[in-house]
Amino acid sequence: MVKVIYIAADGTRTEIDAPEGESVMRVALANDVEGIVGECGGAMMCATCHCYVEPDWAGRTGERVSGEEDMLEGAASEVTQYSRLSCQIPLTGALDGLVVRLPEDQI
Amino acid sequence: MPLAPLDETITITQLIDDPYPIYRRLRAEAPVMRVASVKRTLLTKADLTRAVKDNPLLFSSNDPNTPMRPALRAHTLMRKDGPEHMAERMAMMPAFSPKRIQTDWAPLYEQLAQDYIARLPRGEVVDLFATLCGPLAARILAHILGIPEATDAEMQRWSQRIIDGAGNFGWKPELFALSDEANDEMDALFDRLAPQRIADADGTAYSVMLTAANPIPMSQIYANLKIAIGGGINEPRDALATVLFGLLDNPDQLAEVRAQEAWGKAFEEAIRWVAPIQVSSRLVTEDTELGGFDIPKGETVMTVQASANRDEDLYENGEEFFVFRDKNPHQAFGNGPHHCAGAHIARRTVGKIILPMLFDRFPDMRLVDRDLVAWKGFGFRGPINLPVILN
Ligand code: FES
Repeated sequence: MVKVIYIAADGTRTEIDAPEGESVMRVALANDVEGIVGECGGAMMCATCHCYVEPDWAGRTGERVSGEEDMLEGAASEVTQYSRLSCQIPLTGALDGLVVRLPEDQI
Repeated sequence: MPLAPLDETITITQLIDDPYPIYRRLRAEAPVMRVASVKRTLLTKADLTRAVKDNPLLFSSNDPNTPMRPALRAHTLMRKDGPEHMAERMAMMPAFSPKRIQTDWAPLYEQLAQDYIARLPRGEVVDLFATLCGPLAARILAHILGIPEATDAEMQRWSQRIIDGAGNFGWKPELFALSDEANDEMDALFDRLAPQRIADADGTAYSVMLTAANPIPMSQIYANLKIAIGGGINEPRDALATVLFGLLDNPDQLAEVRAQEAWGKAFEEAIRWVAPIQVSSRLVTEDTELGGFDIPKGETVMTVQASANRDEDLYENGEEFFVFRDKNPHQAFGNGPHHCAGAHIARRTVGKIILPMLFDRFPDMRLVDRDLVAWKGFGFRGPINLPVILN
């Protein structure tokens, strides 16, 4: 299990212990974390799973995958260098304690 | 494992008139059911429909042998999977992004909505379905696609003929003759507009596709535009008519929506309650299993998102229109790679622009009689009229 910390736009913090291999998006949905919609189910087609990886963690979550950049264009909230689609971040042991911030709007 | 049970009693007419009691029964008794009249295995629970949509390798959209091909004279992205689908879809997506809509389109849409709303007669009975929902949806789409030269009537006619052709599983030649005629008209318009959309490149779907660094083939550009016309008018039209009905039929909720400016929530609830696109089909590529039944390769399963959206496991009182639900994880826009490309546009135009404007302009709008509103449709569903009095 690895710990993921979601910080909502209003500051609400949710800590979840999640199995490795799951995506940051799926874990949020499975645990009713407000602020991630994930409407396309991780097919990288909706951009409603947008998150900002806390700068300290950005190195460890890796590069955006091919196609992610284009899809992020479709995000409802501002896109920054720390923006990722959370469905494209699989949890690994190295991400234990990961902090992601959630945008104001997903749709 | 056994095959799913077979139903030989449900008729297409029943499904077109009112499928919801049937779905409620299927959810309780047989969430995986082969329905003889539909020639499909119907899946009516939310976990099943989602699982199927999320697994395009096992449950493929790729079926070149549906009537959609003759109806559009092309094998389109709707019926493709994987990289091919992705390439064609992404060619058009930049025009549909929320940012584009906000920066390029919102002022124009507001103007259009204002114009169409201003034309409505006051103090008499008016059918908003025919006078507002359809024409405004057509106008907005014509602009975003980059074909504003097409009239509202043309857009709506083409859309309906494409839909009728694509659903022509009886392969009646008359219906393809009508869709052929529409295809000729659309092709002629697209041919005529292409040079201009290249010369004066803008953010419209047509222009974006024509001027891309690596454009997709011209035939696919045309097919994409036609898919957008076929899929981009009736759905926002029906969503708008449904949410208007829901709010007008529930004045307490309308008052609360107004107080909280919860128009977006009202829109989401409307498309949950009566999803404009009620069902989708997927071809099974390998022998598999769903809900405890064998599903053989080659079979076609039908995800009934209309039913998933009222699933008792997810919703209390799912049969009711209730805007202020805690959670609303509806599947009206689908899941997986074919998630509706127009979702952002619909949410912004209907939820953020049209609804607040309409109720601002006509605060005392009311239904003439809820029982005069007729609902229809199995594949696509919504009210087919909406008589109201505007004041
Ligand atoms: S869930 Fe749709 S893009 Fe991530």
